[in-house]
Amino acid sequence: MNILGISAHYHDSAAALVVDGMPVCAIQEERLSRHKGDAAFPLLAIETCLQHANIEPKELDAVVFYERPMLKFDRILTCALRAFPKSWKAFPKAMKNSLGEKVWMRGIISSHLGVPGRKVLFTEHHQSHAATAFLTAPTRRAAIMTADAVGEWATLSVGDGERLSNGPATIRRFREIKFPHSLGMLYSTFTAYLGFKVNEDEYKVMGLAAYGKPTLVEQVRKLICRTPDGAFALDLNYFEFHSTAERSYSPRFIELFGPPRNPYEPIDLDSAEGQRFADCASSVQRVLEDTMVELAQALHRETGLTDLCLGGGVALNGVANARLLAESGFERIYVPPAPGDAGCAIGAALYCDRIHFGNPDRDLPDHPFWGPSVDASELARLAREDGHSTVELQDGALIDRVVDDLAAGRIVGWMEGALEFGPRALGHRSILAAPHKIEMRDRINREIKYREPFRPFAPVVPIEAATRYFDIPPGGTRLARFMSGVFPVRPEWRSQLQAVTHVDGTARLQVLERTMEPRLHALLEAYGRRTGIPVLLNTSFNLAGEPIVNRAVEGYSTFLRCKINVLVAGGIRVVKRTSAVPKAQAEKVKKEVA
Amino acid sequence: MLDSTRPYQRPTTFDRLLTPLHRWIWNDADRRVQKLLRFSETETDGGRDILRAAELTSDPLLRRLYLEHAIDEFRHGVLFRHRAAGLLKVFQSGSNHGFQGDWLAPGGHGLDDLEVDGESDSNMLAFLHLSERAAASRFTVYRDVMQHDPPTRAVFEEILHDETFHMNYTLTQLVRVEPERHKRHLWRARLSRLWKAYLRLATGLAAILGSLLLTIQYFVLLPPFAWLAKRAARRERSGWTVVSPQRTDSLDRQY
Repeated sequence: MNILGISAHYHDSAAALVVDGMPVCAIQEERLSRHKGDAAFPLLAIETCLQHANIEPKELDAVVFYERPMLKFDRILTCALRAFPKSWKAFPKAMKNSLGEKVWMRGIISSHLGVPGRKVLFTEHHQSHAATAFLTAPTRRAAIMTADAVGEWATLSVGDGERLSNGPATIRRFREIKFPHSLGMLYSTFTAYLGFKVNEDEYKVMGLAAYGKPTLVEQVRKLICRTPDGAFALDLNYFEFHSTAERSYSPRFIELFGPPRNPYEPIDLDSAEGQRFADCASSVQRVLEDTMVELAQALHRETGLTDLCLGGGVALNGVANARLLAESGFERIYVPPAPGDAGCAIGAALYCDRIHFGNPDRDLPDHPFWGPSVDASELARLAREDGHSTVELQDGALIDRVVDDLAAGRIVGWMEGALEFGPRALGHRSILAAPHKIEMRDRINREIKYREPFRPFAPVVPIEAATRYFDIPPGGTRLARFMSGVFPVRPEWRSQLQAVTHVDGTARLQVLERTMEPRLHALLEAYGRRTGIPVLLNTSFNLAGEPIVNRAVEGYSTFLRCKINVLVAGGIRVVKRTSAVPKAQAEKVKKEVA
Repeated sequence: MLDSTRPYQRPTTFDRLLTPLHRWIWNDADRRVQKLLRFSETETDGGRDILRAAELTSDPLLRRLYLEHAIDEFRHGVLFRHRAAGLLKVFQSGSNHGFQGDWLAPGGHGLDDLEVDGESDSNMLAFLHLSERAAASRFTVYRDVMQHDPPTRAVFEEILHDETFHMNYTLTQLVRVEPERHKRHLWRARLSRLWKAYLRLATGLAAILGSLLLTIQYFVLLPPFAWLAKRAARRERSGWTVVSPQRTDSLDRQY
């Protein structure tokens, strides 16, 4: 049975293909279109999935869209009516946006793929999140919690799931909290207030939070109160996201927290103003964590289960996840590699397979590598054409050379196998570097990622050595499998892991099992033998504002535009002649050609 | 007084005729900030498109030139953004309201809408050449009307220098790639730009008309429904809502 899952039209579109109960390909549209956070209908992603499995659209048994468009339209229209007449500016935009394309998904999918309308199905948004979180996790029974900004109406839901080996799977959602009361929107409102991009830069708020103190918690608590039934509600006097499209916070919000940050000004953490912004970030982070912990504790008491599957964009908050693990009562927390909307493509397809069609459950490979593979020969050709030093090496020799590079302080672009599905680079499209000195963090921030100096980098460590360097609680290695948890770096190692230790002494680490990525695991072990510490800095292979690279040519063009010194794809190792397109050389080319 | 006889390009007659309008648009500090920010986005987007062209071409020389071009565009984006940030500091502006005159004073790749994937090198070069030429012409006018703001003027001056290179290399390479038919490609690109300009104008007008009609409907038809919706909202309880299993049973429903 061939089932295609699609998520689209909000942010980060994606497609995923499930064949006979197993995912065979899943990819975000942005990785192919090269537009970060591409929300367009994911035609390229669909094409890639179908080509990968060598099937024609007519061979699809079902195409599942990850939410119910009419239910979403119902929410948009109802909110516009409730906000009358304040919503007069937002109304025409919202109607054109929805009626122009988004509500006609059955017809759009049908016409793009040539499949009959009856084969096009719809899951609810949080149903898709729940399916992604539960059906991909290696657990048989678990409580499920999903939280994001908003789906159709739901913003948070709780429930449970059960899978019987080769038997039926069930997902039950007990209850939900409805828009406009939303933890995701609360966090996004602060993201906007702090001058960052909503739906994209929430992780910057989390990074900034470590520089502040939660001195404004009481003020944040005025924005969100607990309801008698244990849920929460936002005080809408402080928000405008539900009534206008221009701004998410109201003048009362500004009265409470002061003027918002100018997005075009860097944050100076040594100034009082910069500190205020960091305190705001820290306070909203604290309130988010507290609320999530209380909701999870109640769910734990209710279900009595030991495992929790967490889905939705809020599950990308690694600091909150670590607190959930420590305080919620659950022993294990499973966060999929793509808990956000993109991941819903795979969730919707699996839900359709297991629950709608009732196909027997199957254990899924526990990795995030569902995209196209890198073609190393493409890199070799490009690099040779441009006169860069290029060698092809066998595995052992290649790893030795890369260890030499890393130990010498060179920065390595690392492309290997199939592309990761989800926002994290987990060892197949990564930039690797030595994690020991703070200068390395600053160098990568300044010369490669071109991003704010306060943002931390993540370490990757083999599972066998993880607890030596990091203070990981029981269940923590699972959370760290896909970089979903933030844990303390052991104090005695912080001075030797400066580039990956955040200002509060923590790190959002990836704990790597050999079976998940043998080559990177071998590299880490070899690096450990050379330097004594088998830990590397691992950041996504992209530049600011660009999606993670997919093909070798994209890795190569990124390599040329920044100060990555060495590029590796498969067995090919390329060393840059000098710095990225040197100025003198560039001027010479310009003169010659012009 | 205009000094377009100095570097790098004389503006087209059309752009020169619009000089008073451009002067009016750029004279207002708030509009200037908004336009610079928009230019920054346009240049960065243009840079991404050209980077994509570099990744797609099989011609090594073009790849290097496109890459250089893309790096220039990204730098222009940064220059515009920094200048806007500088102005914001002085004028404490940044609100996005009022008339911005966007399509009257477009940025670097104003009406181009590059579709990089699937374009041949020759089409891409012809398209880029015309686009850069148009940008150089407009930027010359913008530079000339910016005498009251020397730092912004200096930004345009610097960018104009690069645009001249971009204009020249795209033409030289087009002649190299298509020695016989480069003129035909240029004409096709001109027509395509004209068609896209028409489409933009038509879409823009349709959008204005659509907004107008929807706004009228909003105030004429919606008030009773709004009253009902508000009344229903007042009765709605916040907190948990139970999810009934029947609601999620069927995957056929869109609501």
